[in-house]
Amino acid sequence: MWHTSRNSSPKLKKMLNSKICELLGIKYPIFQGGMAWVADGKLAAAVSEGGGLGIIGAGNAPAEQVKEQIEIARSITSKPFGVNIMLMSPYADEVAELVARERVAVVTTGAGNPSKYMAMWKSVGIKVIPVVASVAMAKLMTRAGADALVAEGGEAGGHVGELSTMVLVPLVCDATHLPVIAAGGIADGRAAAAAFMLGACGVQVGTRFLSAYECSIHRNYKDRVLRAGDLDTIVTGKRLGHPVRSLKSPFSRAYFKAEYSGVSDEELDRMGTGAFRIAVQEGDIERGCFLAGQSAALVKKEQPAAEIVREIAEEAERILMEAQKWVK
Amino acid sequence: MVFEIVAELIAERNDCDVSEIKPESKFSELGIDSLDTVEMMMSLEERLGREIELDRKVETVGEFVAYVEEQLAKAEENA
Repeated sequence: MWHTSRNSSPKLKKMLNSKICELLGIKYPIFQGGMAWVADGKLAAAVSEGGGLGIIGAGNAPAEQVKEQIEIARSITSKPFGVNIMLMSPYADEVAELVARERVAVVTTGAGNPSKYMAMWKSVGIKVIPVVASVAMAKLMTRAGADALVAEGGEAGGHVGELSTMVLVPLVCDATHLPVIAAGGIADGRAAAAAFMLGACGVQVGTRFLSAYECSIHRNYKDRVLRAGDLDTIVTGKRLGHPVRSLKSPFSRAYFKAEYSGVSDEELDRMGTGAFRIAVQEGDIERGCFLAGQSAALVKKEQPAAEIVREIAEEAERILMEAQKWVK
Repeated sequence: MVFEIVAELIAERNDCDVSEIKPESKFSELGIDSLDTVEMMMSLEERLGREIELDRKVETVGEFVAYVEEQLAKAEENA
């Protein structure tokens, strides 16, 4: 479906589009992942201004701080943006109430089951898009009344599931009638095009936006992402039941070693405390956990967030337009 | 009754004997994480023929069973 209103040129230009664009009122079906400590109001607004859906990552922040970021985003853009709520956060309840009060356009949720907030959010017209990493979770969220689902494969950074994006996305598409947004391992138009082929009608990109000008992470963090090669991420935290993918660093190696030694669960928990924040704000490689997906290896340069959105969309458009060359 | 079904589902999943599953068994010790719990709940729903809403964290098999039984009782009252 093409919208003349969205093109300034009189000639109708074909562009990447899907039902998720209409559902949310966005130009491109591209979400920016709500990375905890990383995705602030400034980054989210830049992505939304660029035609994607920017998402503020609430992470473990209290409602007051999230509110500040929502206000920052609103001061930069009038376009829709979202907030990601990490359900394991001790502040999940108050952030859930905040987004309802603020009537944020979209809420995505991670690390748990948001069923108990669903009625509150839907009553004020918020579009609810839970992140799922399994078929059972996709079915449960469909039943709970979600508007769409993000199916996130284990290539992603941060909290991850076991299944790869290639396997998870078609399985989730089979299990739900809702629009599915693919995530995990998607950093360019090639992966985005592939996700559409798997049945997704949108993509969520996290790691690539770590290199955005508007992303205010520590210089060391950015440099490590830009330098990362294909084997430079590691999954830790499996023993405590909350596996996360991050860039290899003195911290992640030490944690990994401790995890498979006699160290107690409590000690492990202590080791991990504050590590995400330290990476983002202090860039300390000894104490910080630099969350990133496998696609860090594909991130090679810094650029404006809007340019990232456009590049991914245009590359995907080109590939999808040419896709019929495979059928002769 | 719920305990027997849950124990059976876990035993099947873990390839172990049903007798090894006790009410005090912790999910973490059985290698069952939160995603597995959701999947198990779905299978349990199929067996019971009704929906269950799991909105709290449960650590042991016994707690999970008690929670499900509580929901079943509530559903009965409302019926």
